[in-house]
Amino acid sequence: MNARLARRLAALYPRAWRARYAEEFEAFLGAHPPGFRAVFNVVGWAMYERVSSPGEFNMDQRQRSLVLMAYAYLAAVAAGVNFYWTVADTPLATAMHGHSAWFASWTLVRAGSFLALAAVAAAGLPVLAAMVRSVVATRRWDVAGRLAVPACAALVTLLWMAAAGMWAGGHWIPTPWDVTGNWTAPAGWPPLTTRWMLSSVTFALLAAGLIASAISVAQAIRRGDLSKHRRLWFAAPSLALAGSVAVMALGVLAWGWFAEQYAASDFHARNGGLFSSTNFASWGASCAVFLTATLIAVRGARSASALGSE
Amino acid sequence: MVYYVTRSNRHAADDDADLGRYSDPPLLVLASLADGPKHGHKMIEDIARMSGSRLGPGTLYGAIARLEREKLIEPLPAEERRYPYRLTAKGLRVLRAKLATLRRFARAGLRKLEAR
Repeated sequence: MNARLARRLAALYPRAWRARYAEEFEAFLGAHPPGFRAVFNVVGWAMYERVSSPGEFNMDQRQRSLVLMAYAYLAAVAAGVNFYWTVADTPLATAMHGHSAWFASWTLVRAGSFLALAAVAAAGLPVLAAMVRSVVATRRWDVAGRLAVPACAALVTLLWMAAAGMWAGGHWIPTPWDVTGNWTAPAGWPPLTTRWMLSSVTFALLAAGLIASAISVAQAIRRGDLSKHRRLWFAAPSLALAGSVAVMALGVLAWGWFAEQYAASDFHARNGGLFSSTNFASWGASCAVFLTATLIAVRGARSASALGSE
Repeated sequence: MVYYVTRSNRHAADDDADLGRYSDPPLLVLASLADGPKHGHKMIEDIARMSGSRLGPGTLYGAIARLEREKLIEPLPAEERRYPYRLTAKGLRVLRAKLATLRRFARAGLRKLEAR
């Protein structure tokens, strides 16, 4: 592998990781046979290090708890979007309304999502406001740029959806979940292949936006000074977030159990989408991501509750 | 989104070959260092011989970073741009314990198979 590529690959890792390993990792890669497999392996692990080691390097407890809250919330959003498109516009959605306990599990997930949003807003908005004031006062445009990434990612995705929708005739918008089904299209909608192609781009933009937001928000928090914020601002919302994400995870698990009881054939049917997966597999993926989000949120809450001992 | 990870279309024969491999990168790195210090490339070769798994560069350094954080291995001075590592006393203890557990587990599993 040439030295330039090795340097670029090593640069994908978090700063603290690079401070310790960059030199020897570049030397190691320089002597490693080149190939796509090695490159993908390094890129994947670099992303993993960035996402999974927020608490290990150069952060105080406040920053750590906030970063973990951001990760947990973004993971819950990804799982929630996946769960929504598992249910919406499928026979499961219709069947669900006929069973109060089943519908209650869906309502539980919805309630959890509102509570999680409130918790993130309660912790995030005061910190965001303080960070923006500090950024303007100290002209830290690198932090401003990172804080702007989630909004920019959302804007790019929405602009893409609007532009692609207009291009496709104005009667349909490529939502990310259009990749998951081939339901009968009303008049004026583009053909299925076009819908899949355009909505795949939306799906990729959404996934990339969530990952970029997680990384950039963590970097902005790491560069900010949160020492003036009181413990309660972190402890209460992080506990609320952990509780609400756990409620969502429980709701999704219960929803799957009821689906198995009341509509097993629809639950195990292929959804006919681009990936030709079953609703059951999609539900399982949502459960896995919700449970991961819960674990991260609990870690964040523990970090926040440790603030008292700082 | 996890469910969009598509299944690989390896043949059944490849799947059978995979079954005999062992893949727990941190444990493989510890086992590779059991007979003395090694640098990255030597570890990869050694692990491939021992387990049939060839670790990617990111996987290897992910395991090295984790093991060093847990103080199970430690770096030695570089030799011509090669960076060897060795087991710490704690690493040796952990490796012994893990391998002993694996041996007990393997024996129990094999006994059950033989009893069929």
